[in-house]
Amino acid sequence: MTDVWYVVAGWVVISGGMALYAVTLLRRLRGTRERSLKIRRGAEAAASDEGSE
Amino acid sequence: MKTRILGVVALLAVLAAAANALFVVPADLNQGDAQRIMYVHVPSAWLGYLSGGVTALAGIGYLWKRDLRLDAIALSAAEMGVMFTAFAIWGGMMWARPIWGVFWQWEDPRLTTTALLLALYAGYLLFRRLTDDPHRRAARAAVVGLVAAADIPIVHFSVEWWRGLHQGPTIGSPDKLLTPAAPSQFVIALLAMLGAFTLAWAWLMIRRYQLARIQWQLEEHGRLGRLSAARRAATSTSASVQASTEGAP
Amino acid sequence: MTGARADLAIAWAIARKDALSELRGRQAAGSTLFFAALVLLLFGFALGPDSRKLAEAAPGLLWLAIVFGGLLTVARLHQVETDDDALDQLARYPVDRRAIYLGKALAGLLAMAVLGGLLLPVVGIMYSVDLLAAGPGLLLTLLLGAIGFAAVGTLYAGVTVRMRAREVMLPLLMLPAIAPLLLAAVKATTAALAGDPLGEFWPWVQLLAGFDVIMLIAGGAGYGFLLEE
Repeated sequence: MTDVWYVVAGWVVISGGMALYAVTLLRRLRGTRERSLKIRRGAEAAASDEGSE
Repeated sequence: MKTRILGVVALLAVLAAAANALFVVPADLNQGDAQRIMYVHVPSAWLGYLSGGVTALAGIGYLWKRDLRLDAIALSAAEMGVMFTAFAIWGGMMWARPIWGVFWQWEDPRLTTTALLLALYAGYLLFRRLTDDPHRRAARAAVVGLVAAADIPIVHFSVEWWRGLHQGPTIGSPDKLLTPAAPSQFVIALLAMLGAFTLAWAWLMIRRYQLARIQWQLEEHGRLGRLSAARRAATSTSASVQASTEGAP
Repeated sequence: MTGARADLAIAWAIARKDALSELRGRQAAGSTLFFAALVLLLFGFALGPDSRKLAEAAPGLLWLAIVFGGLLTVARLHQVETDDDALDQLARYPVDRRAIYLGKALAGLLAMAVLGGLLLPVVGIMYSVDLLAAGPGLLLTLLLGAIGFAAVGTLYAGVTVRMRAREVMLPLLMLPAIAPLLLAAVKATTAALAGDPLGEFWPWVQLLAGFDVIMLIAGGAGYGFLLEE
């Protein structure tokens, strides 16, 4: 491999890795936020059900 | 939304600094284009150490205040640490191969120290997974992090000494960019990359912390749910026992 | 008795208790010694048969065997506590946690020193190393290495003793942490065995001593937080 390919390998893995992590992080964040909202809505609905009884 | 702005700024900074480091700055006279790897290797190594410091301090903070938010910071920093330390090793290897002809050099104190740091981080993260109770996990992790942090300067000393007793590699050293004799264009490019990477690190830390907080809340919710389900099961069985005894005259 | 003397007395009592139980259950300690000796034997197969090369590698191999045996030793010293929930009961007494740590680390030191001491003749014979030429420097290195290993090992064994997968977690945490100790001990041993031609012995011993001090402090501080669980 000429020198250039090592530079490419170094840069691609590092910046690509960071980008991949960032994207995955954002996806996980969105997923858990949705789950958290769903649970809260479910709890609110249950509370209002009990209140109306 | 301040975080989102930080994210955009960080991204732009990284792109700009990278473009500068790859295409604008001239190649090194001795090391050629291979030296450009330093522009990602050095910031990665720096962030690896910064993350370690944050992990240790956040752990100590938890032991003091018992606030799980500090533990969330420690966890986020440790993940950052694993990632950037791994990057640093990768960058170091990619640099070493064209310059020294080998991917690994036992005589290079930086490579060996960073490998040890990676091992410490990975151990810390694996260790965390094996405890379920949040407070116990936080306490144990803080203790492990404390010892690891105390270890790192010792590792540094010992490996430097180790190297000093052998003839280190003379052709090309990773230190070149950091000496005062380095040409200012290189130094500025490196500092720009350092700053840009640190911004990115800060954004990633915030997002990872947010994730950790929500995950913990979900954990707690799950735990409370199981508790109340168990309680309801207990009361309903006692209620049905009551009803059956009352029903039978 | 003042606080400090009481604490030291407690530490001593714990150390004695552990030492006695090691002595009574010496099958386990003996098996560990046997294991370490086997490791040395296997190194011979792996790296031999060139005796000169083995003699050169002897300090490194000695300390690797001590480390592997040491992992088993510190794990065992803490296993004893969980079997009867003894550690929990110990934690309920109004004792300075550091005294408990010190006591257990002392027992660990003793066990490690014995292990290392008994491995010396094995190394001397198997790798044709003249141990007598090394004199007291070798023993000092052994002592300091044992202290450092016990300091770190007592803490990590205490942390992992009640965890899942503790058999792999203890080595996983310990091996990176004691890397500088390994480095310095091997260097000091090499220098001692060669008669210290380059004057390297004392710097490495100082590094070892520094490691010991830092780890004893960090270990003592950390151990206290564990018992509060």
